[in-house]
Amino acid sequence: MTVPNEHLLFLAAILFAIGVCGFFVRRNSIMVLLSVELMLNAANLTFLAGSRMHSTAARPELSGPIFAIFVILVAAVEAGVGLALVIALFRRKQTVSLDQLNELGD
Amino acid sequence: MEYWDGMKAIAPELWLTGFALLALLVDLLTKGRNSRTVGYVTLAGLGVTALALMGQSERVTAFGMVEVDAFGRFFKLFTLAALAVVCVFVMSDRRERQHGIGEYYFLLLGAAVGIFFMVSTNNLLLLVLGLELLSLASYSLAGFHKGNKASAEAALKYVIFGGLSAGVMIFGISLLYGLTGTIDLAEMATLGGEGLPRGLVSQLAASPIPVGIAVTMVLAGFAYKISAVPFHFWTPDVYQGAPTPVTTFLAVASKAAGFGALLRFLGVMFVRGDVQGLVADYGGQVGLLIAVLAAITMTVGNVSALGQSSLKRLLAFSSVAHAGYLLMGVATMNNEGFSAALYYMAAYYFMNLGAFGVVLYFEGVNGNDHIDSLKGLGRKAPLVSIVMVAFLVSLTGLPPTMGYYGKFLLFTAAIDNGMTWLAVIAGLNSAISLFYYFRIAKALFLEEPSDESVPRTQPIFTGMLTAFGVCTVLFGLYVSPIMQWVVSSMDLLG
Repeated sequence: MTVPNEHLLFLAAILFAIGVCGFFVRRNSIMVLLSVELMLNAANLTFLAGSRMHSTAARPELSGPIFAIFVILVAAVEAGVGLALVIALFRRKQTVSLDQLNELGD
Repeated sequence: MEYWDGMKAIAPELWLTGFALLALLVDLLTKGRNSRTVGYVTLAGLGVTALALMGQSERVTAFGMVEVDAFGRFFKLFTLAALAVVCVFVMSDRRERQHGIGEYYFLLLGAAVGIFFMVSTNNLLLLVLGLELLSLASYSLAGFHKGNKASAEAALKYVIFGGLSAGVMIFGISLLYGLTGTIDLAEMATLGGEGLPRGLVSQLAASPIPVGIAVTMVLAGFAYKISAVPFHFWTPDVYQGAPTPVTTFLAVASKAAGFGALLRFLGVMFVRGDVQGLVADYGGQVGLLIAVLAAITMTVGNVSALGQSSLKRLLAFSSVAHAGYLLMGVATMNNEGFSAALYYMAAYYFMNLGAFGVVLYFEGVNGNDHIDSLKGLGRKAPLVSIVMVAFLVSLTGLPPTMGYYGKFLLFTAAIDNGMTWLAVIAGLNSAISLFYYFRIAKALFLEEPSDESVPRTQPIFTGMLTAFGVCTVLFGLYVSPIMQWVVSSMDLLG
């Protein structure tokens, strides 16, 4: 028994929606970065589903899985830089809440 | 041998990567004590890369991914020229001269490598990787002054909004891939039929809505890079908090790269000669979406700029407004509009690098970037102030400057393509922008200085700013050299 492609796409859409909601609702910058990871993983799932839809036994379609691997890499690097900046800010302000980001502005 | 031909085609990128590593190595060997040497290494790297670029003339595709053509070369040379100026800014910024800023140059060169790949590929994977390389380097640069609260906050805001737009864009690309079965833009546009539902044609024939959602999501990623509404929220905060040379880099090189990639994305997918029928028709609708975005972007940018008291924030909103003007050329979806956008980009180079250079100069004098602190500087630093007025005139779009001719081209392109309403909105916006640009001029010349101190001059820096001012006016009167370059660079749609 195989999972139908539609299920993968629905799961991806739900993950993406949770990610977007989390991004706008959460006030903790680490949780916001985590929401971004969720969005990127939704994209990965869609890439894999797309690859399955377009593959035939004679001609496998591999650019989707390859893209997914690179997205994992991008997500890791982005999390690395993001967390480094969170730490840099925490050292100054002793908080990681986005509501406390109020140095800038008129 | 094909491999070496490919390597030869991407020689400029390889030189740039090599010099980025060299800059890091030199910094390591001098133990971070001699950042000036690293600066010279960077400038040499930019020069060598420019020579390698100018040696290329034929149009080739390397490794099936990198398109080496005149269009990409325009944006690459633009980036190198902008980076060279940013390097000079870093080297002459008094507050920047401290230990351990070798990474600064490394990150700048790394960002340039990202730009080089993102403006010269039809492959969405390479586009995303180039864009991310640019973004990651920009995040680190924006937060370069770790000890400075504003800088750290700016970088965090940048990284968070960048993450959102990257997530949305990559999800959009995954949808496009699912719909068409390819990540190559040219294939996406022209492939169709043949058993499996590949290519945009069969998808658009079935229903245009999924394609619309996917394309809009991908546009979100570009909108973030060029700071177009509704992805512009980071712009004022990051521009204000980041070190001024980095702000200059973000406002000029990073934005131009976003436009280069956007033009290629839209051009190859919807406009190019081999794109026919449904896909080309759909391109017209995407153009309309961009026209609406352009109108909103320029209005939001100009109206928000009115009330700003920080010079960097003001220029940030002005750069949002300019993204709107440039989008006007993109929205026409044809050669005329794209060329106009390219010319305006060249104008944008001179006037914005100049304006940020003057801000850096005034920051060095006053220690802050408030408009009030500019009072009476027209008498204390007359040359720089007069040059600033030239940049402001050009930013407003008044003759006889490059900004005027660029706007003229953009307005003509919009009217020729049945978007007179957009040209009218842009005209009204230019009138609004007059108010806040001339607030700066008024502070410089018409108000009394608060004290009698005379600012120290930096001959090289002042000379460079004056050269920019002269170019802004000169190329506005004598447009053919830049116009010829732009026309010969528009081989994207051929």
